[in-house]
Amino acid sequence: MSDALRLGIFLTIVRPEEKQILQAAEARGITVERLDDERMAFDLEPPDLPVDVILNRSVSHSRGLYAMRFFAHYGIPTVNAADVIERAGDKILGSLRLREAGIPTPRTIVALTPEAALIALDQIGYPAVLKPPIGSWGRLMARVHNREEAEQIIEHKVALASPQHSVFYVQEYVPKPDRDLRVLVIGRTVVGAMYRRSSDWRTNAARGAESEAFEPPEPVRALAIRAAEAMGGGILAVDLMEAPSGLVVHEVNPTPEFKSLQAATGLDIADRILDYVAEVARR
Amino acid sequence: MTECPACDAHVECAAMVAGEIFPCTDCGTELEVVTTLPTAVQLAPKEAEDWGE
Repeated sequence: MSDALRLGIFLTIVRPEEKQILQAAEARGITVERLDDERMAFDLEPPDLPVDVILNRSVSHSRGLYAMRFFAHYGIPTVNAADVIERAGDKILGSLRLREAGIPTPRTIVALTPEAALIALDQIGYPAVLKPPIGSWGRLMARVHNREEAEQIIEHKVALASPQHSVFYVQEYVPKPDRDLRVLVIGRTVVGAMYRRSSDWRTNAARGAESEAFEPPEPVRALAIRAAEAMGGGILAVDLMEAPSGLVVHEVNPTPEFKSLQAATGLDIADRILDYVAEVARR
Repeated sequence: MTECPACDAHVECAAMVAGEIFPCTDCGTELEVVTTLPTAVQLAPKEAEDWGE
């Protein structure tokens, strides 16, 4: 691991994850350039940016995506790559990649109008789940139990200003146990895994799910690595559910939070991230 | 030591770094450290629709 590495961290805010990365970088003698996503602007002409590699930690999908495209345009490698962020950060593109890679994933139908969404829900069957194509933390997701609820929720979504709420990502509701699995993949390695337990059907850590370390058996590791590679590889958190038919991958996150996983497993994840970022810089 | 922009309570962010988010211990408002020398805080940015992991 080179101590001469010059690392750019593109970020919005400093959460415990970013703080740990900054502290781990300082401990290694890595020069860190903090790049604030609220203040940066991107010229088509390459700027004088003294970094060897950029780590994207922006919480904004669109800022992260466009910024990584510009850094790549400037000839600076990024973690993750823009293509990976685009695929994994958009549930529609992500589902397409999972399906094309033959990875088991919940049945999903995408509709482009409210009328088509109601047809899609009939096809999927109730209960079903409506998700915004972009965004996470379980925000603005709805479990829909019947046609009447569907019509009301769709009416509200259409009234929202963002065009993404007029694209309907309809997914079967998977009757899973009170938990799902999160597997963190870095490069081609499973770094750690945990169960996320909640009485809420949404088992996001951001919604208060409790974390418990989980030692994934080989088939789970292999499935998580395949899912990460389907997105293009990098630092990715693969979320899986235990469906009656077996494990299904329902989401792959391109800018993973890892506070809960670190607390559950005791792993030094910030250090593993820096190892990988340094490896990308050397390529 | 500085003041919470929402409730004027004194807030301490000695061991923090710029950009760090923390709740005011008096009113619970989420604050963002702007600078550490001198200490300055502002209201934390509001979560946007495309925020996530």
